Amino acid sequence: MRNGKPIIEVENVRKSWGSFTALNDVSVTFREGEVVCIIGPSGSGKSTLLRSINHLEKHDAGRITVDGILLDDDLKHIDAVRTEVGMVFQSFNLFSHMTVLDNITLAPRRVRKWSRAKAEQVALELLERVGLSAHAHKYPSQLSGGQQQRVAIARALAMQPKVMLFDEPTSALDPEMVNEVLLVMRDLAKSGMTMLIVTHEMGFAREVADRVIFFDHGQIVEESTDPQQFFSAPNHPRAQAFLKQIKHAA
Amino acid sequence: MIHKLKDRDSLILAGSVIGLGLILWLMALPLAALPDPIGPAATQFAEGALTTIQLTLWACFFGIVLGVLTALGKRSHLPPLRWIADLYVWIIRGTPLLLQILFFFLALPAIAPQLQLSEFWTAVIALSLNVGAYNAEVIRAGINAVPNGQVEAARSLGLSALYTFWDIVLPQAVRISLPPLANNMVALLKDSSLAYAIGVVELSMVSSRVQAESFQPVPVFITVAAIYLLLTTTFTQFAAALERKLAVGKR
Repeated sequence: MRNGKPIIEVENVRKSWGSFTALNDVSVTFREGEVVCIIGPSGSGKSTLLRSINHLEKHDAGRITVDGILLDDDLKHIDAVRTEVGMVFQSFNLFSHMTVLDNITLAPRRVRKWSRAKAEQVALELLERVGLSAHAHKYPSQLSGGQQQRVAIARALAMQPKVMLFDEPTSALDPEMVNEVLLVMRDLAKSGMTMLIVTHEMGFAREVADRVIFFDHGQIVEESTDPQQFFSAPNHPRAQAFLKQIKHAA
Repeated sequence: MIHKLKDRDSLILAGSVIGLGLILWLMALPLAALPDPIGPAATQFAEGALTTIQLTLWACFFGIVLGVLTALGKRSHLPPLRWIADLYVWIIRGTPLLLQILFFFLALPAIAPQLQLSEFWTAVIALSLNVGAYNAEVIRAGINAVPNGQVEAARSLGLSALYTFWDIVLPQAVRISLPPLANNMVALLKDSSLAYAIGVVELSMVSSRVQAESFQPVPVFITVAAIYLLLTTTFTQFAAALERKLAVGKR
């Protein structure tokens, strides 16, 4: 799906905190239906890029356009973008005082103005899709990390977003729970969803990515539409060093 | 297990509300059976207790609304709102409640005569403003304790700032704030006795009157203390059950 029309356009974006530069003049375009894995060392700016796309971080300079909407200071634009862009966090961030079902139905009812009946029907379908139908009436604290993250994915999907952002979705999970989450993400990728995934799961990235972006020091230093080629023989020395380290750790 | 606990707490919640109603409604009956000086004054005690509870519940309601608004003011991006909230809390916490009650009853009408209210509503306003200032600090701490990830998750779903506050932040902040809030409410129930200074015929005023007529301080004050204890115990039971009930899912 590399020929879809551009859905996210990032142009010369900068973001820094004090003297630390998280994004240093980043420009990149994401297309409809594309699955892009963003990798790189901690603090290289991968998560900041993702969080800038739905304006959880305000970029200092440059332009970000999502589905034709320019992200500026207009709250209407920001909310419109967030409505079309789903996000899955490293730490799940399920609403702890609500049941699984309420977690999923809240935003569609409030933002999409769906009836409770419609929202619940969609929620139950999504729960079935992520294999958690039996847990609809439980609270997040009663679920394992992997289950919570699958609920978080269902919650984001309930808004019927055009793009899904995943910010290290398996990094906070016990190893035996990583696969159940990756399985759901793999299905989602197959269904044609546009996905931007910040991850340290190189095997997964190699398998599902249409494109791999390697970040270092706030910049994209290597980009490849051939993940097999990239993971076996990256061009940039920093990417080589990074992948070598990861392989040693694994 | 969880469901059983929940049901027991619902029972205590309903029980303490009904219990409070029954206490206020039927209190005069057992009191009337007591010997002089309590028996003859039974209805006075019952009516005083009713007034005490009315003062407390009104001030409790307005105090929580004020507390939430002030907590929001203190967190506002707009400096004037922060200043107003800070000034309010500073003044209320730094001056005696008795003085505040007297001020609203005597000084305010002297400045603006149209602000002269009945003794009861003056006491409600003074008590509300007082407990509101203390609630503001408690609720602010509760709001601060809600993890930022909860807000980010809500905003990333497209929920507006208002919905995020109403559906996510406030319910969680209230759960966190509930034990200290309950504390404030019990203190409020007892502080309502200061309303007697402006002539509200609440429980303490009744005790003072009956004592003055009978010259028997020991039975009179023991009776009133027992009634206060009964009322505060009902309050704390209610608060504890509410806390447990809302704690579901937050372990």
